[in-house]
Amino acid sequence: MGKTHDLIIDQSRWNGEEILKSSKYDTALGLNMAEDARKLADGHISEEAFVAKYQESVEKEFQQTLAVQANETDHSGVRWGMVIDLRKCVGCETCTVSCKAENRTPPGVSYNQVFVKEEGTFPNTSRTNIARPCMHCDKPPCASVCPVRATYKADNGIVIQDADRCIGCRYCMVACPYGARTFDFGESYDEMTGYEQVQAPEHGMDRGKREDGKAPVGTVRKCNFCFHRLERGEEPACVETCIGDARYFGDLNDPDSTVSQLAASDRAFRLKESAGTQPRVYYLR
Amino acid sequence: MEVYSGKQQSKMTTEAIVARRYKRWISALIISMIIGGAAIGYRVIEGLSVTNLSSFVPWGAWVALYIFFVGLSAGAFLLSTLIFVFGMEQYEKVGRYALFTALICMVVALTFILLDLGRMDRAFNAMTYWNVLSVLSWEVRFYLIYMVLLSVELWFAMRTDLIRMAKTTGGLKGKLADILRLGSEDLSERSEKKDHRWMKILGMIGIPIAIIGVHGGTGTLFAAVAAQPYWNSPLFPVIFVVSALVSGTALLIAMYAVQRKAANKSVDLQLIKGLTMLMIFFLVIDLGLEFYEFLVAGLSMKPEKIEILSVMFTSSMSWSFWGIQIFLGAVVPIFLVFNRRTRDSVKWLTAASVLVVIGIIGVRFNIVVPTQVVQSMSPLPHAEYAPNWVEWFSALGVVSMGLLLYSIGVKLLPLETTNEEVSSYE
Ligand code: SF4
Ligand code: SF4
Repeated sequence: MGKTHDLIIDQSRWNGEEILKSSKYDTALGLNMAEDARKLADGHISEEAFVAKYQESVEKEFQQTLAVQANETDHSGVRWGMVIDLRKCVGCETCTVSCKAENRTPPGVSYNQVFVKEEGTFPNTSRTNIARPCMHCDKPPCASVCPVRATYKADNGIVIQDADRCIGCRYCMVACPYGARTFDFGESYDEMTGYEQVQAPEHGMDRGKREDGKAPVGTVRKCNFCFHRLERGEEPACVETCIGDARYFGDLNDPDSTVSQLAASDRAFRLKESAGTQPRVYYLR
Repeated sequence: MEVYSGKQQSKMTTEAIVARRYKRWISALIISMIIGGAAIGYRVIEGLSVTNLSSFVPWGAWVALYIFFVGLSAGAFLLSTLIFVFGMEQYEKVGRYALFTALICMVVALTFILLDLGRMDRAFNAMTYWNVLSVLSWEVRFYLIYMVLLSVELWFAMRTDLIRMAKTTGGLKGKLADILRLGSEDLSERSEKKDHRWMKILGMIGIPIAIIGVHGGTGTLFAAVAAQPYWNSPLFPVIFVVSALVSGTALLIAMYAVQRKAANKSVDLQLIKGLTMLMIFFLVIDLGLEFYEFLVAGLSMKPEKIEILSVMFTSSMSWSFWGIQIFLGAVVPIFLVFNRRTRDSVKWLTAASVLVVIGIIGVRFNIVVPTQVVQSMSPLPHAEYAPNWVEWFSALGVVSMGLLLYSIGVKLLPLETTNEEVSSYE
């Protein structure tokens, strides 16, 4: 058995150089570009530098123009918001799991939860699933109570949690009407190999390993609308993975966006509107 | 003035006995500080995960003790203003103790809140950054201003005695007095009058700071949280202040009586009786306010409020309300103070005061915990919380530290007011 598996693996390990040789284009150029493209992806070189380096040779070799791409992720003026269609939600908690995977949250820390309420007696029963990320309230009580302004409202609508400033007083936790905040007690999934190797680049901050100092241990954590994904032009993980396609994400400032239109429908409501927090997460009943 | 002298006060009273008592007391405190220190060390290394706190009940015993000690401090200070501002000379003997107690209680309170921070290393952020909307942000600053004010007022209260001590007493005590007098030499009557003027002014500035800033503010810290229906009531800060008066007065009675007894000195029964009446007066107002707080909450039939009240009154933690807050902290002390057989006994009155202090610990616990047990997202079941050994032992350590600081202070500073001085306040 072992041999068969090894063989499959060996055969599938391709050699880039050999493959490139079989094409009619310049092998060395291909290899160099591939290497620099990786550097570019890792942020070690800028796109401008990459374009300047290869513009000429690409033109010659492929008869194509290589140019700096217009920034598609220019989000100025955007105010993010989410709509969750409760009729589509099946209560499977995929959002919860994908959020944990995306943000690599430790045990006890969950940015998203799904609350299930069953009412009535058989056969007249109803079941309501409420998926709850942070509501990114426009009037966030968590931000107004924070003594050090570690949590605050950003222009793009996201309520930011600054893990490098938070003193861990947990005042925001008692003040959030949605229980959307959890405290990082420093636990880890140690039964998982490499659990401490990477942390999610929340708010675009590369935190490296989950180690003392760099990790947000001892601070309060919460959903950030997957800001690091938004910057890459991707939707939040919970939106992308939702199996019922119940979640919509977009710019609530733009009246033509799907979220704006759904939020304006008469099915739309927000949780605990009486609390005056003005959530940016809408639900469709 | 009637002076009470204990029946069993032996004729062999010597300084040696008192000194030995003091030594034992200090050793006991040091031992409990070591035990508590170990728990604190454990918590510092391992983080808050070693406590019973959770994301469901983020605030626990340490927060309750923090507001308890802030309350003691505010109460003790306000009592001192009765003397230094309103000239109630009958209480003069506890005046400086009150100021010193207020100061130590703040140190203890801040230690508790430090211990409770997830990132203790960033505690100073609370000073560097400031959020005008955050009551907590204001409180941090009020606490510091208040502590400075307490120290300055205490200094004026002790000034002449410090100068005398620096001249006449040798050893550590004299040296300390020499440093603390800060170069002041003037022993004239005019300067003493000036001291009293200053104390009056500082006391007057201190009253709003203590009421609105320090303890009313701490109450507002809770009351302003709209997400916690039980806290979110304008009566809340008022109850905080009144219960501060209750606990502060009770603590001073206990401290005064125990301390005098331990030093084999006479205890002024009239003083104790006066103070216990004051304490009961505050306690009754406090109970009345709480009664209306619960009544209105209950009659308004708001389901969130009813749920929290039912946790408080009927759940497994209701012993803290009925047993500690109501029975030990109110019913028994009121009985002791009015019962014909106990009302003239220093011992029983002291016991009543100690019980009141304990009762207020229950009050603070009931403020902080039950409301968090009920989760803000209704499908979630009730959370559970009771402090674990790390929290208890750390608390023991912090409280012992406070008592040690107090005991050393009493030994080294001129906190006792001699009889001749009593009448000199106008
Ligand atoms: S849901 Fe809670 S944590 Fe999120 S912004 Fe609102 S108050 Fe803050
Ligand atoms: S725990 Fe952190 S974010 Fe929350 S209120 Fe305290 S300092 Fe602010």
